[in-house]
Amino acid sequence: MNNLIYIFLQALTILMLAPLVNGLIRKMKAFIQKRQGASIFQMYYDLYKLVRKGSVVSEVSSWIFKATPYIFFASALVAAMLVPVSTIILPKHIPGDFIVLVSVLGLGRFFMMLAALDTASTFGGMGSSREAMVSTLIEPTILVSLFTIGLISQSTSLSQIMLTVQGAGFPLAHPVYIMVFLALLIVIIAESARIPIDDPSTHLELTMIHEAMILEYSGRHLALMEYGAAIKQLVFMTLLVNVLVPHDQIIAFTGFLALFLSLLIYFFKILILTGIIALIEINTVKFRLFSIPNMAAFAFILSFLGILQYFILGGSNV
Amino acid sequence: MELFLPVLFQASVLLYLVGAIISVLLRKREKINNLSANLFCMAASVLGAAASIAKILWHEGPLGIFEAHSTIPFLSLVMKVDNISAFFLLALFILVFCVSIYSIGYISHYIGRRNVGLFNFLYTTFILTMILVFTSTNAIFFYICWEAMSVFSYFLVVFESEKSENQRAGTLYIIMTHLASAFILVAFLIIYSYTQSFDLYGSSGALPEMSKNIIFLLFLIGFGTKAGLIPLHVWLPHAHPAAPSNVSALMSGIMIKTAIYGMLRFVHCYLGIEQAWWGLLILTLGMISVFLGVAYALMEGNIKRLLAFSSVENIGIILIGLGVCFIAFAHEQVLLGSFALTAALLHTFNHSLFKGGLFLGAGAIQYSTQTKDMEKLGGLSKRIPVTAFFVLCFSLAISAIIPFNGFIGEWLTFQALFANILPGQTGIDILLILAVAALGLAGGLVIACFVKFFGISFLGLPRSEQALQAKEVPLTMNISMGLLACLCLFFGLFPLTILTLVDKVILSIGGSTVLGELRGEFFLLFYPLEIAGNEILPAAILGLVLVMIILTLLLLRMFGGKYIERKYGTWDCGYEALTSRMQYSATGFSKPLQIVFKILFRPSRKLSAEGEALCSSEPIKYTTTFSSIFEDFLYSPAAKAVKSFSKKTAFRIQTGSIHNYLIYILVTVLLLILYNRFF
Amino acid sequence: MFDFLLETLSVLILLSAFALMANKRISSYIRTFRIQSISIALAAGIMGIQSSQAEGRFDFLIVCLLIVALKVVYIPHLLHKTYANVKYKVEKDFILNIPIMIIICCGLVLFSYFALASIEGLGQGLLNLQFVNSVSVIWIGLFFMISRKKAIGQIIGFLVIENGLYIAAMLSTNGMPLVVDLGIFLDMLTAVMIMGLMVFRINDKFDSIDIDKLNHLKG
Repeated sequence: MNNLIYIFLQALTILMLAPLVNGLIRKMKAFIQKRQGASIFQMYYDLYKLVRKGSVVSEVSSWIFKATPYIFFASALVAAMLVPVSTIILPKHIPGDFIVLVSVLGLGRFFMMLAALDTASTFGGMGSSREAMVSTLIEPTILVSLFTIGLISQSTSLSQIMLTVQGAGFPLAHPVYIMVFLALLIVIIAESARIPIDDPSTHLELTMIHEAMILEYSGRHLALMEYGAAIKQLVFMTLLVNVLVPHDQIIAFTGFLALFLSLLIYFFKILILTGIIALIEINTVKFRLFSIPNMAAFAFILSFLGILQYFILGGSNV
Repeated sequence: MELFLPVLFQASVLLYLVGAIISVLLRKREKINNLSANLFCMAASVLGAAASIAKILWHEGPLGIFEAHSTIPFLSLVMKVDNISAFFLLALFILVFCVSIYSIGYISHYIGRRNVGLFNFLYTTFILTMILVFTSTNAIFFYICWEAMSVFSYFLVVFESEKSENQRAGTLYIIMTHLASAFILVAFLIIYSYTQSFDLYGSSGALPEMSKNIIFLLFLIGFGTKAGLIPLHVWLPHAHPAAPSNVSALMSGIMIKTAIYGMLRFVHCYLGIEQAWWGLLILTLGMISVFLGVAYALMEGNIKRLLAFSSVENIGIILIGLGVCFIAFAHEQVLLGSFALTAALLHTFNHSLFKGGLFLGAGAIQYSTQTKDMEKLGGLSKRIPVTAFFVLCFSLAISAIIPFNGFIGEWLTFQALFANILPGQTGIDILLILAVAALGLAGGLVIACFVKFFGISFLGLPRSEQALQAKEVPLTMNISMGLLACLCLFFGLFPLTILTLVDKVILSIGGSTVLGELRGEFFLLFYPLEIAGNEILPAAILGLVLVMIILTLLLLRMFGGKYIERKYGTWDCGYEALTSRMQYSATGFSKPLQIVFKILFRPSRKLSAEGEALCSSEPIKYTTTFSSIFEDFLYSPAAKAVKSFSKKTAFRIQTGSIHNYLIYILVTVLLLILYNRFF
Repeated sequence: MFDFLLETLSVLILLSAFALMANKRISSYIRTFRIQSISIALAAGIMGIQSSQAEGRFDFLIVCLLIVALKVVYIPHLLHKTYANVKYKVEKDFILNIPIMIIICCGLVLFSYFALASIEGLGQGLLNLQFVNSVSVIWIGLFFMISRKKAIGQIIGFLVIENGLYIAAMLSTNGMPLVVDLGIFLDMLTAVMIMGLMVFRINDKFDSIDIDKLNHLKG
């Protein structure tokens, strides 16, 4: 029973935090651009407003169009359950490892791409086709970089990986972890549709990827899609900060206070990562669609060099 | 049990035979013929499947089911079922059962137009020959069955022989498959020359090291061709689309797996693995097949060709498992090897389920629209909703999406790769990591490919009159697809059921049990599957997804009030004349990836206007083409060389005069006698 | 801790070589080269601190300063001047597209790993493991020269090879005699200046710095 409670707690934390992270990124961008910017809670308001509205559904579409928001949202939430936010509330059995994580996110993406094709709109097809390209190219990077860390801790289970890395001192000084960190940073940018891969704030057909896919959605369906995407983004960010910059080893005591402190540090790490992402977004321009393979190849090389360094530096003594 | 099991197998084989004979006898009464043949097949499959399961669970060692010694030298008709045979037979029987239900409806559109009796005869004998391939114990007998299997499947490929493309596909198929059998035959002869025996259960102790290597290569080419290993895959994308869909389901689901069976039986069990490079070679070829197979699949607009290429990819996944297994066995890491073999066998079984289902789905599309061309489909999910749902299930399964069975095979393959990366074997480790990357890339491409397959064919607006007029498929077809979809889900949720069988199989061929490592406790409704602390609970994931969906619905109802929906047209930028031609087409969908991997496809495009200038209002024709590296650089030059050689020699050697031919015979005989005299 | 940092720096140097390969703009070639040189200077500085603590040698700190002066400040400045005088800012028409070239570079790293793995004493105190990374930088520099058509690309490639050689020597020997270092720097400086001049001449002569045009010189 404790298992279930812990798992739901994980999901709840990410669920509550996800829109805030989006708001924070926007606020930081605004701050750097010397704008006032919207409130950091803006996305909560937006979601609340959207949920209360009715939906417009295309006459052409089938049941897939209506089922997709729920499946996408649920798959993002289940993904959130697989990535521990804090090792203090670590369930005994997590129902899956990182391969399952990739597959669960794949479920959501599969349906999102189908729903985009379902309305017979050109935009949908375009978004779906481009998403197919981006996600395909980024997939080997995710697997190889997670495999690298998995090899170091001899496990594919994310909770196990986090526990092992916590014993490694300050991992980010090590080349293997640096490579994986950079590779996963590119993955986050690609997976959460950010500049320079995609621009989340535009509706220009030349550049849209994610937005093109959810263009037909409105009302509560749209709210679910947006919320799901935000959760997915936070899942990847959590993966990055908790695996590569572990924090629970510095908390020496247990109990509720420890949990509170742990979550606080977690939130602080996410805040810093948000800052990094905002900086990247500010300092780059969106790539041409066919420059994305260059970026993906670079990300893959990063992860591959990471694992090569693991072998070069002698495997187990990392 | 000892007495009962052989009888079950014999009864099953006998029922197929009876089915074959009856379909010839009743060739005038096509309806009854169709029903009876398929019912016989179904009954035989049920018996066979039960017998196979019982054999694996409760009987150890080979089980003789038929024995007859002929006066022909070397040939003895001994049929035995051991655990590997039983496992492949199980996959065969399950698939045949579903396909036979399907055929009752599917073949009905042949009634009155084609020779249904002949078809059913070929169909049953084709299945029968596959059973014989799996059970024969004598190399010559095996070879005969193998050839018979190829020939019967050839007849089935060219069954709709009036289309010239089918004839060409058949010719290509028969040439490739015969080349392959030639390699296998040579391997058998080398074995015989050392061991003086054609017994498959015998020992290979008398074979020297070098000839074992050669035999391995011969088997790899021979069986690799049947499996559709790149670059020997050329026949596959031609033959599968040409055959009727129920036959392609069998061909792709189980016939290409006879090659995996062959590799296991002859290389693993008979030769014994001593050299690590065997595994490395298989692993490398598997990686290439995984990536290129799905990359070519993605570019296809023909649904059945797409599925055929995807078979190449899945064979690649199986071979990755097999390669890792061979490497580990060569290094005497029995547990790790058994583990990789588990992954390979499990994926073999799973693939036969979902790929069979996908071909049946493609057949249903063809049945209701008379086209295989994706550019003419669309919107079918409203016209054949049940079929659409099942095809969606299969698409999810093949994309390795949890909770379907495709994921379990892929997860085990990843875990096998993970476990086999050991410090101190640099080259192999890097190859294994590359295999991970190849599987990852292929995983992404498969999702793209099957989103295209399902999205373009079933969603959106119909792209042609045929798709608009699509008719509902017969009930039996949907039942059989539903059965397969349920099986896909079942083995995805409860993988330990099939893994128990796989474990017994591996135990019987010198591996060690991995079930101890794959700890699973029976907890409520699901089995967790766990390897060294890496656990997955597919049923729990499905449960959580469902719970989340329900919670979301409840919360939305609480916060958002009642759901209000308005039906309206798709947003058209105010243009108000959205037609089906404005959707993304199949070609358009895969275009970005085509550009990214242009080194593989070498696409070219041509723009031509019928009028004077491109800017006039005349219709403009835009054609894109892409070409396959292997057909251009490997097969065409080879075919050209053979052709020109034959042309040159046609008049010198094939003179047409009887005297010349007699001289040839004389010279050959004399030379052979000389050879025997001196060597 | 120092070993840790050196490992990390050697990886960063390798990474910068990859970044160079992925670049198309000549201005970012120079920037990437500068980053690479800073990493080398840092490595030299770390080794300098290490050796001054242990043995009281100051050679490395001098080398570090020299690297900063030459490779971080002077040569990039010189290249910027050259760059300002030619009209080509972006490299086009590669022999292969960039992802494939990056993957080839990855193959080069793999190759050097294989080739060097059999060296006796590698990773056992005699020779540092970062040697593999440094040697890969040399290959990548050479491949960079092969893949780029413009003359400035050639110069950068040459400098990267030099960087690779230098870091390999430094990391594997724990410091060469100062005289050797000085000699190398002098060599390089002359080479860069001569090449810089040549670029001007080529540009004058052919109205382009495309070195494929040098074909016209024959016969």
